[in-house]
Amino acid sequence: MDARTVVEPVPHIQVESLTVVYEKPKAEGTLIAVSNVNLDIARGTFVTIVGPSGCGKSSLLLSIAGLVKPASGCIRVNGKPVSAPGRDRAVVFQDFALMPWRTVIDNVRFGLELQRPRGLTGGDLTERACRYVELVGLKGFEHYHPHQLSGGMRQRVGIARALAVDPEILLLDEPFGSLDAQTRDEMGSELLAIWERNKKTALFVTHGIDEAIFLADQIVVMARDPGRIIKIISVDLPRPRTVETTDSKRFIEYRRQIRECL
Amino acid sequence: MKTAPALAGITSFAVILLVWESAVRFGWINPFFVSEPSAIALSLSRAARSGELWHNLTVSLREFAIGYGLSVVIGVLAGALAGRFRTVEYALDPFLWFLYSAPLIAFYPIFVLWFGLGVPTVIAMTFLLSVTQIATSTLKGIQSVNPGLLRAARSFGATDRALLWKVVLPATVPMMMAGFRLGIGRALMGVVVGELFGATAGLGYSISYYGALLKTTDMIASLTVVVVLGVLCTQGLTAVEERFDSWRTF
Amino acid sequence: MFNYRTLVSTITVIAFLAVWEFAPRAGIVDATFTSQPTRVVAAGFEIIRTAGFLHDVSVSLSEFALGFTLAIAVGVPLGLVLGRFPVLRYVLDPPIMAIYATPHLALLPIIVVWLGIGMQSKIAVAFVSGVIPILVNAMAGVRGVDGSWIVAARSFSAREWDVFVKVILPASLPSVILGIRLGLSRAVLGVVVAEMYQSQAGVGNEIMRYGSEFRTDYLLFDVLLVSLFGLTATSAVRALEERLWTAGE
Repeated sequence: MDARTVVEPVPHIQVESLTVVYEKPKAEGTLIAVSNVNLDIARGTFVTIVGPSGCGKSSLLLSIAGLVKPASGCIRVNGKPVSAPGRDRAVVFQDFALMPWRTVIDNVRFGLELQRPRGLTGGDLTERACRYVELVGLKGFEHYHPHQLSGGMRQRVGIARALAVDPEILLLDEPFGSLDAQTRDEMGSELLAIWERNKKTALFVTHGIDEAIFLADQIVVMARDPGRIIKIISVDLPRPRTVETTDSKRFIEYRRQIRECL
Repeated sequence: MKTAPALAGITSFAVILLVWESAVRFGWINPFFVSEPSAIALSLSRAARSGELWHNLTVSLREFAIGYGLSVVIGVLAGALAGRFRTVEYALDPFLWFLYSAPLIAFYPIFVLWFGLGVPTVIAMTFLLSVTQIATSTLKGIQSVNPGLLRAARSFGATDRALLWKVVLPATVPMMMAGFRLGIGRALMGVVVGELFGATAGLGYSISYYGALLKTTDMIASLTVVVVLGVLCTQGLTAVEERFDSWRTF
Repeated sequence: MFNYRTLVSTITVIAFLAVWEFAPRAGIVDATFTSQPTRVVAAGFEIIRTAGFLHDVSVSLSEFALGFTLAIAVGVPLGLVLGRFPVLRYVLDPPIMAIYATPHLALLPIIVVWLGIGMQSKIAVAFVSGVIPILVNAMAGVRGVDGSWIVAARSFSAREWDVFVKVILPASLPSVILGIRLGLSRAVLGVVVAEMYQSQAGVGNEIMRYGSEFRTDYLLFDVLLVSLFGLTATSAVRALEERLWTAGE
């Protein structure tokens, strides 16, 4: 513990006793996806949530996003409870969820159009969208349609769309899950590069252990039946992270720690 | 058998009939225009008892059976030939396209010219309206057979005949069934509309006859029989289709 | 352009026309029953010049235009709304499917009883014939919308109206246009047949008149004219459909 800290600032995200329950589609009864989870996330940290299928990591993320209503418990952002989507949070989805009839630039504008930030004209929105298209490395592809892009490029559009609304919190739900291994690694490095520029609070769900370690300041390890947090690991690897980082002794140690839990 | 949708369907109709009956009883709607379920039921039972309903039904069904039956036989044959021989397909193409898209019912006066008023014309129209649907669906079905399957069968030494019965036919069935289902709708229309114009018996004739007498109740009674027939045929064939469709993954 | 397919198709059509033209001349069939291509064309030139023709065409066209526009105006919004709200669907699906399974022209006599033999009944027939496919396809279009798009929109705080306008509408547009194309030929057929059944004017009226006068060539010209109109209109819509599919795919 750091002796300088006298008063802890309010954590950016507070999850208190969160329980998320789903109706079982074809059977009787309910499925407890998340059971009594407590979690505090500090501002500006990159947190990965890792665990096997069905451990509730996506449900946790989507609850924070306000897209899933918890059965009990509370989620606070900046101390205030949230139960619906808001301007402070933006989501990047595993299946990209791009509108196929919109071009790249129009897809990036999508979130902005819906949120209607004050004082910005349509032209302003397009200009902002352009900046983010460039940021994710898709300059020149503004007028392409999603079906003309590769998986990696489509997800960059998804990331640009989320960043364009300038949220405080970036929520990524297995964003690279649909991509092949090589693209996934590239995208991970690029995501970090983009993140370094503005250090938003980021929550990244994955079931890849190496990916979880590589990206994170903090790793939340979850288990299933019922979905709960079993370990939180602080990652003490230097940034910027490179390929060499994955070969370091500490990286291998973290990997071992996580493997033991699961 | 899916019970939930069937239940929902029955409830839905029950509600509609209830609302309909009340609306007329309370004077919201003039019964002249839409009649009421109770009166229609009475008309139907009267027609059933007097034998009128059965007579009309059998006339229409016979025309339907002959017309549709012919279109199935000829349609499947034509579609099969077209599927097998490219040249036949290209040759038949313009005619099938025309028969499908042109308003065939408008040709009615010509049919009368050729076949005379009454049953033969109705059968002719029924046949022409449904044959294209069945031929096209059979053709598409044969064309959709995965060539990989044919290759595999050949590698096991299958003769042309075996190929036809063991590979092509089973694979074609789903699309053929869809064609049969769609063709029934058009055939039914051919029968009813054909009878509207120039018949002396049948459901369509009955509707037209009572229409001329402005007897809405009896009109709707006959119309109800037509609707029931349409729904039964469509649902029946959909059920058959689904049974054949179970192995489809595409 | 000139491949085997076009060649065979063209040859068969020409062969057909040739048989049609020369069989009566050879005495195999009576021209009163079948007419001939040349006679149909000649009849066409005659018809176009008659005063009644323009009147009949404008009557039919306006009946179709009014009825079908109404069908679009009612069918599209209603179909979209019904598709959006599943609750309504369970109640309204059975009757809608029942109507879809019924030959729409069987409703002709009752529409005539309600609205008489003037233009109103034909407009009503065009409406009824056209609205059903439009409604059913609009509903199907909404149901086919990928749920993940709606979730994405919600994640950006979209309100229900936004979801409708920015996701559901564009996503269901191809299905709506398909419904319009299907409804179009049904509406054209409906107007013509309604005029044939009971009317005082219109192309269908002409058709019945020529039929009763055994003027086969005139009759055929009118019928082919109607076919041509229907085909042109549906081709135009199909072209629109193709453009939409490539943009959204």
